[in-house]
Amino acid sequence: MKKANFVVSGIFAAFALAIIIIAKGYPPSNHGVPGPGMFPIIIAVLILVSALVLFIKTLKMPVTSDTKIDLKSRSILNVYISMGGLILYTALLPTIGFVTSTSVMLSLYIKWFSHRPWWKTILIAVLFTLGIYLLFGTVLNVPMRFGIIF
Amino acid sequence: MLVEVLSSVFNLQIVFFIIVGVFTGICIGALPGLTATMGVALVLPLTFGMDAIPGILLLIGVYVGAIYGGSISAILLRTPGTPAAAATILDGYEFSKRGESGRALGISTVSSFVGGVVSVIALWLISPQLAKLALRFSAPEFFLLAIFGLSIIASISGNSLSKGVLCGALGITLSFIGIDSITGYPRFVFNNINLLSGMSFIPVMIGLFAMSQAFTTIETIFTPDQVTQKISKVWPSKSDWKVIMRQGPISGVIGTIIGIIPGAGAEIGAFVSYGQAKKTSRHPELFGTGIPEGIAAPEAGNNGVTGGALIPMLTMGVPGDAVAAILIGALTVQGLQPGPLLFTEHTTLVYSIFLGMFIANITVLVLGLSSLKLFVKVLSVPKSILTPMIFVLCVVGSYAINTNFFDVGVMLFFGIVGYFMQKADVSVSPAVLGLILGPMAESNFRRALLMSEGSYSIFFSSPIAWIFLLLTIVTLLGPTIGEMARKKRQS
Repeated sequence: MKKANFVVSGIFAAFALAIIIIAKGYPPSNHGVPGPGMFPIIIAVLILVSALVLFIKTLKMPVTSDTKIDLKSRSILNVYISMGGLILYTALLPTIGFVTSTSVMLSLYIKWFSHRPWWKTILIAVLFTLGIYLLFGTVLNVPMRFGIIF
Repeated sequence: MLVEVLSSVFNLQIVFFIIVGVFTGICIGALPGLTATMGVALVLPLTFGMDAIPGILLLIGVYVGAIYGGSISAILLRTPGTPAAAATILDGYEFSKRGESGRALGISTVSSFVGGVVSVIALWLISPQLAKLALRFSAPEFFLLAIFGLSIIASISGNSLSKGVLCGALGITLSFIGIDSITGYPRFVFNNINLLSGMSFIPVMIGLFAMSQAFTTIETIFTPDQVTQKISKVWPSKSDWKVIMRQGPISGVIGTIIGIIPGAGAEIGAFVSYGQAKKTSRHPELFGTGIPEGIAAPEAGNNGVTGGALIPMLTMGVPGDAVAAILIGALTVQGLQPGPLLFTEHTTLVYSIFLGMFIANITVLVLGLSSLKLFVKVLSVPKSILTPMIFVLCVVGSYAINTNFFDVGVMLFFGIVGYFMQKADVSVSPAVLGLILGPMAESNFRRALLMSEGSYSIFFSSPIAWIFLLLTIVTLLGPTIGEMARKKRQS
């Protein structure tokens, strides 16, 4: 947890500095009324102070109360692979189309997670995809027809 | 108006949506890993095409049902379906070990109903009065109210106050994106046209609450699902009814009060109610061994939160918990602005919500006592199929709001961020509080200074402002003073 706390405080401190740098370029206050940059700068300072407090508290944290965060085990790797797959799916979705890309994505995930026979996997994936397509596309009038395939 | 409210709620379509909402909510709540917030976030996109009353009541049905549904897996599997049911495990699972899971589920059902009804009555009685008071608020009071709401982050962040503040500030920062409402100046848009109108907060919430939770479920996706046990004799005995009727209303009131506090959710309501029941019991040593009070208190407490959380949401636009925050989003999509004006301009809607919530609680009682065996079957739905389906619902839900793929990207980004935040023990709830209260604080702060021509004395000019100032100071310093007093006593 110590390592994670240091990373969290570092990321937030960098984030706050970026906000301050950007917000400083915004128009100034006018007749005592704060400009668009004032509130972001106040919040960024609050983030900096909190990040510093977290950093110091973590430094003082006894080694005995430190807990390890699992970021490398097999089960976590499965999460990373899923994230990667979803990024790929959302990137291809507008180009390929909803029904095709979602059926393929669902089939691959269900097959991977449940080891069901391919025919059952594909059947579940296609039926669920068509159900969502009809619900959103027909009942709720969300434009679901996009992409080069379907 | 009464006739309008009755005719708008007591029509077949609305009652159908409430029942569907409660049924869906119980199923979602019963499944470990799917929370009430996740359920409401996933169902939210379905309401975009609906009218305001059926849409909101569908979501409220899901909310009420899910908070109750969490107790099913807590009692049967020793795994809370939702965090709100964590306290129910303590005594609930002991019943199951003795083969009395049906009795435990019966007590949980009736207690949830009692707690829920108490909270609806409180919602009905308190909200109109609070709305009347809030009508007298102007920019300085709304600014200080938002600051008070944000200060709650300090008290709900527990051991990791700085992480809570960081997360809350992250939420506020996200609210800066887009065209500044006072000057029209574009902020943090980086020449991206999708960011000009600001960060759509529903995809952010779907990402933080639903997608991140689905990622967490993948960690245990290959662990076999637990086998559920058979249940019988759900209807509570005479002695159990006595316990429920004694403890339920008290815990319901406690839950309602906790629900009113911005950011404090059903989990806290359940634990505080359990603690109170134990403290005031003649036999505190029996708690944890499987006694009816140990189920009645947390279950009435967590369902008590549901009505309480809507009080600040409807009257002032301040969410009582994460679900209330999503409901703000749902109202906004319908073109409605939560706040005191809702009570004067959309009276029928407000009272329909009250009545609909009451019907939702009755539905919980009826479905809970009649169809528990069906809900227990839901527990056997494999997460290996459910999790990929949740992926699809998250994607379609965030796309549907603006039919925009950029929002899908936003949802996925915050899903990944939310997952790593959970890993680093950073609660995501303060981010939601920040996202909603940030703009309220900023715009009213600047409006107040416009009104006073730059004089800060406007923030100290009314008794209401002073009350919020004092409440903020007490909330911020309370935990520190308490800690100091505890250390002094120990030494």
